[in-house]
Parts: sequence; C-alpha cells; structure tokens
Amino acid sequence: VTSTFLTQRIRAPLRRQPLAVPTVAYLVGGWAAIGIYFALSSHEQSVLFVVIGLSAVTAILVGAGHQPKISRLPWYLFAAGILCQVIADAITGYYEIHLNREPPLPSAADVFYLSGYPLLVLGIVLLVRRLGGQAGRAAFLDTIIVAIAVATVQWIFFVEAYVRESLPLDARIADMAYPSMDVLLLVAFSQLLVGPAGRTTAYRLLVLSVALWLIGDEIYGLTSSTYVAGGPLDICWLGSYVLWGAAALEPAGTPLEFYDRRTIPRLTPARLTLLASSLLAMPAVLVIERVEHHHVHSLVAAAGGAGIGVLVLFRLVDLVRTVEGARASERVALREAELSQRQLEEQNDRLREVDRLKDEFVSSISHELRTPLTSISGYIELLSEEEQDPEKREHLAVVERNATRLLGLVSDMLFTARMQSGQFNLHSSPVDLRAVVQEIVESVRPEAEAADVDLRVHDVESIPRIEGERDRLAQLFDNLLSNAIKFTPRGGQVDISLGGSNGKAVIEVTDTGIGISEEERSHLFERFFRTQVVLDRQIPGTGLGLYISKAIVDAHGGQIAVRSVEGGGTTFIVELPSVGS
Amino acid sequence: MSDAPLILCADDDEDILALVALRLERAGFRVVRATDGERALELARELRPDVAVLDVMMPRLTGVEVIRALRSDESTRGLRTILLSARVQESDIGRGLDAGADAYLAKPFRAPELVALVQQLLAEESA
Repeated sequence: VTSTFLTQRIRAPLRRQPLAVPTVAYLVGGWAAIGIYFALSSHEQSVLFVVIGLSAVTAILVGAGHQPKISRLPWYLFAAGILCQVIADAITGYYEIHLNREPPLPSAADVFYLSGYPLLVLGIVLLVRRLGGQAGRAAFLDTIIVAIAVATVQWIFFVEAYVRESLPLDARIADMAYPSMDVLLLVAFSQLLVGPAGRTTAYRLLVLSVALWLIGDEIYGLTSSTYVAGGPLDICWLGSYVLWGAAALEPAGTPLEFYDRRTIPRLTPARLTLLASSLLAMPAVLVIERVEHHHVHSLVAAAGGAGIGVLVLFRLVDLVRTVEGARASERVALREAELSQRQLEEQNDRLREVDRLKDEFVSSISHELRTPLTSISGYIELLSEEEQDPEKREHLAVVERNATRLLGLVSDMLFTARMQSGQFNLHSSPVDLRAVVQEIVESVRPEAEAADVDLRVHDVESIPRIEGERDRLAQLFDNLLSNAIKFTPRGGQVDISLGGSNGKAVIEVTDTGIGISEEERSHLFERFFRTQVVLDRQIPGTGLGLYISKAIVDAHGGQIAVRSVEGGGTTFIVELPSVGS
Repeated sequence: MSDAPLILCADDDEDILALVALRLERAGFRVVRATDGERALELARELRPDVAVLDVMMPRLTGVEVIRALRSDESTRGLRTILLSARVQESDIGRGLDAGADAYLAKPFRAPELVALVQQLLAEESA
C-alpha cells in the first residue's frame, strides 16, 4: 500500500496535464481540416494536403521557439523533415493537377520523401539520446534488437521482392529505400517508447504521431498496388502532421527531454511486449512461410535470429554488471556507514573525556580558591573575637564580609559550571517549605536590620506539601531575599508571602525597591545579566543569582516570574508543584 | 590537662592546621598535628587519639585513604573521624562518608561549628 502511495505521490507532477490552449486550438483546427479533406475534389485535396503539412511545419517552428535554446535542435530537425515531406507532397500534387498523372519513379518527389526520414529519425534519436546513462544504453540495445527484427521482416516481406523486380536500377533503389526508411523510423520510434524520456503530454502526442506515420507507411507498403491518393489511408499521414505540430506546441514547461529517474521504464509491459515480439519474429516468419507454402527464408531468418541472440546476450551482461555494480557500491556504502559510526563513537568518547576534564578543572579551581579563603575567614574570625577597639572591629567586619562574598562567588560559579555540564541532579524528598522560608528569613534578618529594611512574613495556614531538595530551596530563597534587601532603600520593607493555589505552593517576595524596567525584565534570568541601575551604582554581584534561582525552580518543575514597576518595587513569584495534586 | 581528649589534626596547609589546632586547644582539647596522610596514620596508631580531624587533599595519603586504613585495622577501627575539606561537591562528600568518615565539614568552616562537632562525636563515643 505504501509503495503505491509513494509512486503516485512521486509521479503526480508528471501526470497527464490538461492540454495547453494553443495545442487544443491547433488540434481542433487540424482535425477539422482533415475532415474537410475527404469532402474535397482530388485537386483541392492535393492543395489542402500541402497546407496541413505547412501548418505542422509552422507549429513546430513556433513551438521550438518557446523551448530553451539547448533543446531546440531536435525540433528544428522535425520541421525540416516534415518540410521535405510537404515539398514532396507538393511535387506529387503538381504532377497530378498540372500533368494529370502520377510522378514517375524515381522523381524529385522521392528524393524529398526519402531525405525527410533521416531528419525525423535524427531528431528523435537526439531527443532521447541526450539523456545517456545506463538506462540510455539499455534503451539503445533494446532498440537495435527491435531494429534487427523489423529489418529482417521488412527484408523478407517487402524489400527482397523489389530486388527481383524487373525495373530499372534507380526505380528499384527508390522502391527498396521506402521500407528501409521505415525501418529507421521504427527504430527511432522504439527508442522513443523504451527510452528514458519523461512521459509528458508532448511525449504522448509525438508517440501517437510517429505511430500513425508508421502505420500509414506499412499499410501503403502492403497495398501499394491498390493505393489511391485522397483515400482513407491519407488520414494516417495528415493526422501525423497535425499531432506532430501539436506536440511541438505543448508548452516548454513539460519539455519532452525532461529526464526523470523515477519514470525510467525498467521492465514495463510495453517494453516486454516489444522485446518479446522481436524475439518471436524470426520463428513466426518461418512458421508463416512454411504454412503459406512460400519460399522459406531460412538463411535470412537465421542471420536475424543470431544477431538478436548476440544483442540479448550483451543486454544480459549489461544487466548483470549493473546489478554487481550496485551490490559493490552497497558494500562500500555499508563499510563507510560502519566507519563513520565508529568515528562518531570515538568522538563521543573524546567529548565525554573533555567534559570530565572540565568538571575536574572547575572542581579543583574551586578547591584552590576555598583553601586560602579558609585561612582568611578563620583568622579574621579569630581576630574579631579578640579585638576590643570598635573601629578596628568594624574594619575586620569589612574584610570578613568580603571574604564571605568571595566564597559566595566561588560557590555560584561551581554550581553554574555543574549545571551546564548537566551534573545538577535533584535529591528529592518531602520538604517543609514554611520551615525553609523561616530559616532563611532568620539568617538574612541581621542583613535587613543593618540595611534598615523591615522584613515581614505573611503566612497562610495550609501550604501545599512539596517535594524537593531542601538545600537548593534554601539557596533559592536566600538569593531572592538577599536581592530584595540589597535593592531596597533604607526605611523600605520586604514582604514574603506563602500560600497555595491550584495545587501549587506559591511564594512571593516583594520589595519597595528601585524596580526593573520592562526591557530588563526579559533578560533578568540570563546568565551574567546585570541591570543598568546595578552597574551604575556599582552594586556588587555576579549576575548569577537569578540564573541559578531559575535553574533551581526549573529543576523542581516549577515556575518563577517577576512583576515590577520602575521605581515602585519588584515582586518575584515562585510556584512549585505540590505532591498531592 | 592530661585528661583532656586527644585530637589528631592533619592538613598540609600549615596556616589552616595552626588555625584548627588553636581553635581546638582553646576549646580545651589536647592536639597532635600532622602535615601529611602517612604521618597522620602513624600518629593515629601510636597515640590512639579520641578524634581525628583530617584534610582530604594531602600528600602521600589523602584523608579518605587514611580513614580507609584506620577502618581496616582492628585496633584503630573505633576512632572517630571528621573530614575537613575544600572539596564540596556531592560526589566528594559521598566518597568521604562511604570510606567511613563520621562527619564531613566544608572549608571555610566556622570555629563554633568545628568545636561542636568534635564535642558531639566525643559524647557519642562515651555514651
């Protein structure tokens, strides 16, 4: 089912399209003229025959003008070939109208008739051969097979008879030339049928046209003794003219040589039929001759059969080589795929190793920074305990505060580095959110008092139960509360409210600080982002606090948002999913 | 004074070692010092201290290796140990506790915290 669907999808663009308006107009006009043809007198018929032929030449030239330059040559050859036919028709007509007899054999008409064929054949071959490739070679071999079969049959049934005729040599040559030219045209026709030409509307019209022409010629060959000009057989050649012109008028959007790999006929029923009839032609001829008690052309048939056999062998060799080639390139592709798979794995290993080294590096940098900080903090603590002088105690407090800040920086950077290398895994367990918030509020209270900021907690009775990592949540609230205190002017206040809504625990931290502009709010949770106010007032910080806060909230499956009026305070809202919901 | 509990302190950073020792001495303990892991192990076997406060990143033997060695020896198995380290990643802490440390304290540390921890371990031991 799938493959049918795909085939239809792929072929859709090449499906039969409605005929272009000029094509339809020409077809209607042409076939109307053919209809009129049979109602006319013999002389008028000769004139109309030439007129229809000339209209086809004109249509082909017009159509060729719309083709891209590179594709025009075959169509010019068609125009020239049909023009030769028309000239020959005109000469024949001249004989019939003015001299009131058929042209002699051979005449100038035969020269033009016969020289038209190679031009048409060359045009078709050029049209198809340009496509090349293995498919083109296969089509060429198939064509030769068909050609040998047809040529042998033509020889046995048509040409050989003329050889034995008791006519002058030039007349005999002319008589033999027609069936031979038909062989050429038939070769071109089968090339067209089995070749890789796109199955466009123009293609279909051209195939029909050549087919009509060949049918006309073959029927004429069989019934030449009883042929009367102006009879029903003329419909073949006139129809061929009109169809050929219509094919040329089909727009260049569907050029005949549009090469489409997907529509290369591989072993289509038409191709199989053509090849099978070629292979069966020789035995059939022999059987017919035997049954009809004719002279049996065993030698000719044997030669034809042998030729066909050799070509079939070539064709088989070609097919087998193609299959072997495909298998070989399949093996190569498989090896290449395996190789790149291995390379990818090696690259992955290297990347993992680089990642590990980076973590190791960050970890050891952190260790190296913390070690001297241990001495600094430890001895400052010792000194401040012993120092009695208030001024010196104040100075020591400054050093201690800054050592603590440095430690905070080291921790934040280590945390950020671990987060980026994906090592940040939450160790979840039930957390008493109220207790965590209370603990942090108490730990930042000295800070708030020093900054003369009023710290208020608004609690509700039931906060949804949540699960998470206690230390990380403490870090989150410490960040939010420290920020709020830092950005609130003296005499201001910071409100912390705890509550729940829609199965979520909601914590809001509101300050009466300087506020954040809308533009800056959108960058607030980015790594290393710092607001202009912070930069202007040289407020210390790394720009990592809110980035880390958001990462912690994200890891808990929650959401963090900010609401602010410039100059009118800021509120951070944290929502954490509760376990019961 | 000789009745006071004996604390073994080991750290390759002499400033930190001096600080830790000073804090513990001021809290009333006797202190013996080592500046590498091997020496710390020797002293632990020789003097049978009540608690060992060990740095992790030390030359020759790391604090974690010292604890493993202590735990594998019948005579020192019961020694209470604290790892005091600037390595603060969860994996480091996990490794230390797995090796058998009784507590893990991050550097920089607060003096009251360290002293309280030592006292707590001593109380557990005598209990």
